[in-house]
Amino acid sequence: MISKTRVALIGNPNCGKSTLFNRLSGLSQKTSNLPGTTVEAFYGAAQYNQIQYDLVDLPGIYSLYTESEDEKLVVTHVAGIGEKQPDIFLFVLDASNLRRNLLLFSQVSEFEKPAACILTMQDTAKRRGIQVNIEALEMELGIPCIWFNPREDKDASPVFKAIERAKNTHSLGNPTQIEDRLKLFWSGTKPNGLNQETLGRYIEIEKLLSRTTTKATENWKGLTLKFDKWATHPVWGYFILGFIMLVLFQGVFSIAAKPMEWIENLFQWINQGISNSLPNNHFTDFLTNGLMSGLEGVVVFVPQIFILFFLIGILEDSGYMVRASFITDRIMRKLGLNGRSIIPMVGGFACAIPSIMATRSIKSKSERLATMLIVPLMSCSARLPVYVLLVSIAIPFSTFWGPFHAQTFVITAAYMSGIFIAIILAFLLNFFKKDKNKYSEFILELPTYQKPRWQTVTHQAWLKCTSFLEEAGKIIVIISMVLWWLSSFGPSRAIETAEIKAQQIIAQNPGNTNNAEEIKANCKLEASYAGHLGKFIEPVIKPLGYDWKTGIALISSFAAREVFVGTMATLFQSSEDNTQGIRDKMQSEINPETGKHKYGLPYALSLIVFYAFALQCMSTMAVMKRETGSWKWPFTIFFLYGLIAYIGAWAVFNIFS
Amino acid sequence: MTATAELLKPGSKARITRIKDGEFSLKLAEMGCVPGTEITKMFTAAGGNPIAYQIDSYLLGLRIEEASLIEVMPCESSHP
Repeated sequence: MISKTRVALIGNPNCGKSTLFNRLSGLSQKTSNLPGTTVEAFYGAAQYNQIQYDLVDLPGIYSLYTESEDEKLVVTHVAGIGEKQPDIFLFVLDASNLRRNLLLFSQVSEFEKPAACILTMQDTAKRRGIQVNIEALEMELGIPCIWFNPREDKDASPVFKAIERAKNTHSLGNPTQIEDRLKLFWSGTKPNGLNQETLGRYIEIEKLLSRTTTKATENWKGLTLKFDKWATHPVWGYFILGFIMLVLFQGVFSIAAKPMEWIENLFQWINQGISNSLPNNHFTDFLTNGLMSGLEGVVVFVPQIFILFFLIGILEDSGYMVRASFITDRIMRKLGLNGRSIIPMVGGFACAIPSIMATRSIKSKSERLATMLIVPLMSCSARLPVYVLLVSIAIPFSTFWGPFHAQTFVITAAYMSGIFIAIILAFLLNFFKKDKNKYSEFILELPTYQKPRWQTVTHQAWLKCTSFLEEAGKIIVIISMVLWWLSSFGPSRAIETAEIKAQQIIAQNPGNTNNAEEIKANCKLEASYAGHLGKFIEPVIKPLGYDWKTGIALISSFAAREVFVGTMATLFQSSEDNTQGIRDKMQSEINPETGKHKYGLPYALSLIVFYAFALQCMSTMAVMKRETGSWKWPFTIFFLYGLIAYIGAWAVFNIFS
Repeated sequence: MTATAELLKPGSKARITRIKDGEFSLKLAEMGCVPGTEITKMFTAAGGNPIAYQIDSYLLGLRIEEASLIEVMPCESSHP
């Protein structure tokens, strides 16, 4: 039997730990400059010299005494609480910040496991006048210590050799019963003399460093400071942040447009192929209008999600995001949030689900909750296609309102209104908070700027796409199929009756042969289960300007917003299954009561407002339940945002009618 | 005379003499703010809060409240 050696990578944030992990396992994963963004442990496997290794990359932390959720994960692994304790600790130490990095080492080494040290950032250390005598360090610590540059060094065998050598050693710390003290710390009581313990460790570390390193004391000047002069400038800093956000949105809008068109065309081509080669029956109809339109509704998002996560990935990887936290902290605090909230909020424009998980790095419970609650108000990428479809129905592309391109203006306004409501809500939440002086901190390392690792960022964005395809895709495809069934079948013989009725209407208007198919489809839909459902809620949504068809789309959207476009496609039975097709169909509908376009500007704006505010995402609610521990908050904001959406949509509809 | 770190002038260097007891003292120590360490105020965000300090060889962002726990003795080499 081959036994596997379990190796855990342990180190501070930004020490190159995850890059090393990628180098060893060949498995790319995200490393973020923002402490705590790696909220899960990552697993990988490697083989060297016929020995199998199971590698685990733990989130970067500064100390084992931690109260934040993501950082506790490290303690469970290191101490073997509920997890199997690793066989070997692989410490990753930033040589340019050895003193602080050794604090964690000093704590973890008390678990007396075989260990090795990998020193990174040799060039940075040299630039800052720090010389490390690695042989002396190895002698002092009694475990293998090597230099390694995970970014540059392609050959990882020195690391594996160090791990090999580590097997016969074990690191020794000064026994302070850290295990018992950690248990005490976890149970909520702070053990006595924690500060003294830490200071004591630093004294030992200083002694060690004086024997192994030399340091030239000089102020470091570098590119990072030059960048920061701009990035954190009282005026320009905000301009840069605003500009970056603008580029982010523009990128998502414009770069994704072409690939989305290709995907739509591809599906249209497949659908045509299916309907041409198969007989015209329920099964074919199910394939094209049920399954394929559902699939398309999922795949079409991939370009947007990829681009958004790619761009956000670059911002995180380069170190900029932390600066964004730094300059927004003051404003965020006034709203009961934290500078750290900016990352989940920006992420919210991509998808609320990972963003809610990213709030784990906010240490204060109330700030974290407030951030979680407002994240769903950021217009996520799933809302974008809904906006796009609706503006293109109601507003001709060439329309300008003053200097603004009307379509772009409306979409931008939708994004802004979400942010606006979020700010008001955060403010109110903070205003009515019982305990104003709750724990709140902003102790944050501003890492050195670095060139984004394109490969990692690309890979990570792609992982987000595949997980979206798997997770959201399942729901959307199932709903599309259910919806197809609901709209194709009706109670008892309702569909047949409707068909006869349609024949009569067509017979009465013999000149109108073009619309015959459409009239038939419409009558059938009205008679179907879906039609009944839509009609059932019609009285409630009529004040907002919606008809029963929109009602069906709304109901189906509660599983996931992106279903809207697919639903509209199914409901309008457009022969061309793309936005263009749905748009043409919707534009041609006339309201019999008013004689105006049924789906005109008031209708579109009202729906946009509804989608901007309403919490129509089951997955978001599920994640929020998991993160807050109860259904209280997800349901509270579900009803609250529903109410805001309803009132907002009603107001907009009446203003523009 | 003891000053606290938030009062330092941008660009001036000081040596940490003590960390006052407070909610954040442990966290500060863990980030390397221990007596004897040199600390340099580098820059601030708009309104002077938060503040970025250089400690050892890295930048640490702190709010005024947190920085005020750090008692320092300004270094002679720094400008007045």
